[in-house]
Amino acid sequence: MSPNDTFEPEIIGFACHHCAFAAADLAGSMRLSYPTNVKIVRLPCTGRLDIVHVLKALEAGADGVFVAG
Amino acid sequence: MIKAQQKPFDEIRGMLGNAKNVLILGCGTCVTICFAGGEKEVAILASLLRMAEDIDNGDRQFREHTVKRQCEWEFLDGAAEEVKNADLVVSLACGIGVQATAQRYPDKPVVPGVNTSFLGLILEQGIWSERCVACGNCVLDKTGGICPVARCSKSLLNGPCGGSVGGKCEISPEVDCAWQLIHDKLTAAGRAEELEEITPPKDWRTSQSGGPRKIVREDLRV
Repeated sequence: MSPNDTFEPEIIGFACHHCAFAAADLAGSMRLSYPTNVKIVRLPCTGRLDIVHVLKALEAGADGVFVAG
Repeated sequence: MIKAQQKPFDEIRGMLGNAKNVLILGCGTCVTICFAGGEKEVAILASLLRMAEDIDNGDRQFREHTVKRQCEWEFLDGAAEEVKNADLVVSLACGIGVQATAQRYPDKPVVPGVNTSFLGLILEQGIWSERCVACGNCVLDKTGGICPVARCSKSLLNGPCGGSVGGKCEISPEVDCAWQLIHDKLTAAGRAEELEEITPPKDWRTSQSGGPRKIVREDLRV
């Protein structure tokens, strides 16, 4: 197995409280699972997201950032 | 207000030299308004510098601090502790703030993180335009509130010149001819005849051409 096959990216997801986060919450209620290397940060609205938040996530070691809202 | 643009990232990084503890010092006034060197830009720059340092396996540390105004001693003194702990300061203030910081903390290297561009105003989000060159001898009363010194490419006082075509300047179709604007404004105000009066050569000694300027107000001195 090559190193690429074992690479597990750490992903930070910024999710809107009113839609994407609610969907993730519902997924939890439905006992659906998603990979543990995805960490979700709830925002009151994705309009709150600033470039500084994305940079801080990457600076802290995240391999990728997704925004859902 | 003063308008500035942040220098290219590689240029800023190239000024760090051997400094291990770098302070990114922002200014909360003009450069905040034009998104060049306020608290947010300090955070972004510091984050980018930290990541670049990680990629290069460097060991520089970057701290962030922003004062309300770098051009006033009282505010600048609020950064004393942060400056003391740094080997080098990257000032994101205008040239005045950079010089004030360098003067207040003479033992500390202070480098500029922005290019101070001009005195201007915002036309729309993301677009700024020059409006004043601080010539020290304002003529806006004669020109309908439109400055020919700053906005005419030749700083003519008796315009327009032959390069004015369709209301635009010959240097670019995107640049308004200031004298066309002045003419239109005064005509609309019923003051067009005032333009027949020839303005004599301007005394440029009050401008930067006369050397560094200083204002002394004896009534305000203590």
